Formats: sequence, structure tokens, C-alpha cells
Amino acid sequence: MSNKLTVKDLINVGIFTAVYFVTYFACGMIGFIPVLMVVLPLLAPFVGGIPFMLYLTKVNKFGMVTITGIIVALLMFATGHGWPILVIGILAAFIADLIFKSGKYKSWKKTVIGYCVFSQWIFGAMIPMWIMRDSYFAKLRAGYGDEYADTLMSLMSGRMLLVLICLAVIGAISGAYLGRATLKKHFKRAGIA
Amino acid sequence: MNLPEFQSTSINTYLQLDPRTKLFLLLVITTMIMGGNISGSAVYPRLVFAGIPLILLLSGRRIKVAILYTFFFTAAWLSEVFLVYSTTGILNILLVMLSGLVSRFFPCIVMGYYVMTTTRVSEFVAAMERMHVSEKIVIPLSVMFRFFPTVAEESHSINDAMRMRQVRFGGVSANPISLLEYRFVPLLISIVKIGDELSAAALTRGLGGPEKRTNICRIGFGAWDAVFSVIVLGALVFYLFI
Repeated sequence: MSNKLTVKDLINVGIFTAVYFVTYFACGMIGFIPVLMVVLPLLAPFVGGIPFMLYLTKVNKFGMVTITGIIVALLMFATGHGWPILVIGILAAFIADLIFKSGKYKSWKKTVIGYCVFSQWIFGAMIPMWIMRDSYFAKLRAGYGDEYADTLMSLMSGRMLLVLICLAVIGAISGAYLGRATLKKHFKRAGIA
Repeated sequence: MNLPEFQSTSINTYLQLDPRTKLFLLLVITTMIMGGNISGSAVYPRLVFAGIPLILLLSGRRIKVAILYTFFFTAAWLSEVFLVYSTTGILNILLVMLSGLVSRFFPCIVMGYYVMTTTRVSEFVAAMERMHVSEKIVIPLSVMFRFFPTVAEESHSINDAMRMRQVRFGGVSANPISLLEYRFVPLLISIVKIGDELSAAALTRGLGGPEKRTNICRIGFGAWDAVFSVIVLGALVFYLFI
């Protein structure tokens, strides 16, 4: 089997990226309520697990997942999420692709790990929030003094980001299992997986 | 579902910009508005960066969006300039968060909206090809834009069918996971089938053949491209050096 991507592969990339992106967008609707923004890294990989696991059954060459990442990043950029998404999104997808490849796109363990890594692209879209916080904290420091600002800062920026990353990992793992269950229950039987 | 999507019909705008210019403007504006400083002399280039989407919206006759955008941005900007320094406590935090969100995200989202609603798919593809973007990106992208309306349409029909069978919130099955299953699985199955047909059709029409494909769209840089690029670059230089 050749390792070059065929047109059929590229069309598959397009289709599943479309479905994945629409899924993300539908989940992202709840992000308009700012508090629920926190739930987004958990919810999006969870629901996205179903199309993504189905997508992975069609992937057997290096590059497809990377292209998905590039396109998602480009779209997020084009809808005004700033440039960090281009860096983080593409990097996450590339590493995920390497992990999938190391499991020859078959190993379940590697699939779960890779999907966790892939799902981190979402932080490219959220990072501006942290950049924004920095200038906010600069202002706070002037008003309330260093100690107060430092406490709040350590609570908000560093640790919060870590919590969100953990949430994304949890979302991705459960999403992967949900996806696998759906594959077994429906798609294999329908003959499309 | 109302996703912003690339248009496939002709577009009614006063100023025609090249898709590449639009992408350049988008890049500069999102970068400067989101990460940029908001105080001192940075205020003026910031207003320029925020003003460009407004002018473009007006040129594209999107008056309603333009009015909403002006209203929200002005409110956020005024609150950043005047209210933030004169309030304290929880009100201050709320104001900073809210006005920060609006003034940093709205210009970017509005600019993205403009790019998406005024660029035709083939124009976009032509621009990508001129920029020597690999076919590996161009093909999936054009498939995607072809697919967004399909996904929305299918999802709508499935939604109707499921509602008829009482599969909805508060219906027979209230479990959100099974709700997800009943909506999502049929959608994916039909999408995959449509996708297979599409790839067969595209192959028949010679996609992926060795010949270079032609494109009917005429794109190129014009006077307006120069005007907007100069304005943005001017504001950028002002921001960086003054």
C-alpha cells in the first residue's frame, strides 16, 4: 500500500473535518454564556469523539489527521479566534498524528492518547483569554497591590488552564470510548466502519 | 443552524477586495486587537483596526450587523476608557471582563464574518492556488464548504423525523446520551454515504488528475486592496514605533 494520500483520502478528510467542525460549533454555542466556557473543553471532545472515531477507521496514512488539524485551525482563525490557534492547533494535530502512526492507526491505546492530544487544539482558541487576563492583572496590580494580584493570578491563569486541560483529557477519553461504543453498536452493522 | 459559510452566488458589495487581502487584514486585525495594548497612544491604531471591519460591513450592505457592532464596540470602548478606572470591587471586575470580551473579540468575529460572507468558494480556491497552497489543503477545504450546507440540511431533516417520534428533550427518552445517539448516528451514516457518492463524482470529473485545473474566477489586486493594506500597515507601524 502506498503512503501517498489519494483524492479519496482527501475527500474523506474534508467530509469528516466538516462534521467534526460542525459538532464543535454546535457545542461552542453554549460557550456564548461565559461561565459555560469552562465546560466547553469537556463537552466538545466528548461529543466530537463519535465522528472522530469513525474518521479514524478511514485513516491509515500519515497526514490525514494533520490536515484536519490545519483546516480546523484555519477555520477557527478565519472566524476570528486570533493567531495562537494556528500554532497550537497544528502542533496538537501533528503530534496526535505521530501517535496514531506509532500505533499503525490500529492500536486502541494509541488512539485514545492521540485523541487526547488532538483535543488540546481547543486551547489555541482560548489562549487569548489568558493573554487578556495578563493585561487585566497589570491593571489589578496597580489598584490592589502585588499580593492580592499574585494570589488571584496563580488561581486564575496557571491552575485554571491546567484544570481545563485535564477536563479536555477527561472529555477526550470518554469521547473516545463513546465513539468506540457507537462504532460497535451502529456503524459496523451499517457497514460503513 | 446558522453557520457563517462561504457564499456560492455573486456578492453585492461596493468594494471588491482580493481574498488574499482579506486574509491579510484578518491576520493583522485579529493579532493586534486581541493581543494589543489598550492604553496610551495604542488607542488610535486600535480604533483604526476596529474601524476597518465596520467600513467593510457597510460596503457589503450589512447594515444591521454594522449598527450592532458599532453600538457594542463603542459601549465597550467607552467603558474601558472611562468606567474601568473609576469603579471598584465586583462591579469593576465585571466591567473589565465584559468590555474586554466585547472590545477584543467583536472586531475579530465581525471581520471573520465579513470574510466568510463576501468570498465565493471558487474565489477562495483560486486565491489559495495563487498562493501555492498544496492541493492537500485545497481539496479538503472545498469539500468542506460543499458539505456544510449538506450537514445542516440532513441534520434538520433528522431533527424533524426524531421530533415526530417524540425523541426530544422531555420526550419519551430524556437521556441526553441516547438523544445524542438518535440524532448523531443517522446523520453520520447519511453523511458518509453522501461523501462516498461525492468522491465518486469528483473522480469522474477529473479531480486529482495530472493536469492543472482551471478556474473561472478572476481575482487580482486592485486599488482598494492597496488602500486597505496601506491603512493597516500605517496603523501597524504607528502602533509599533510610536
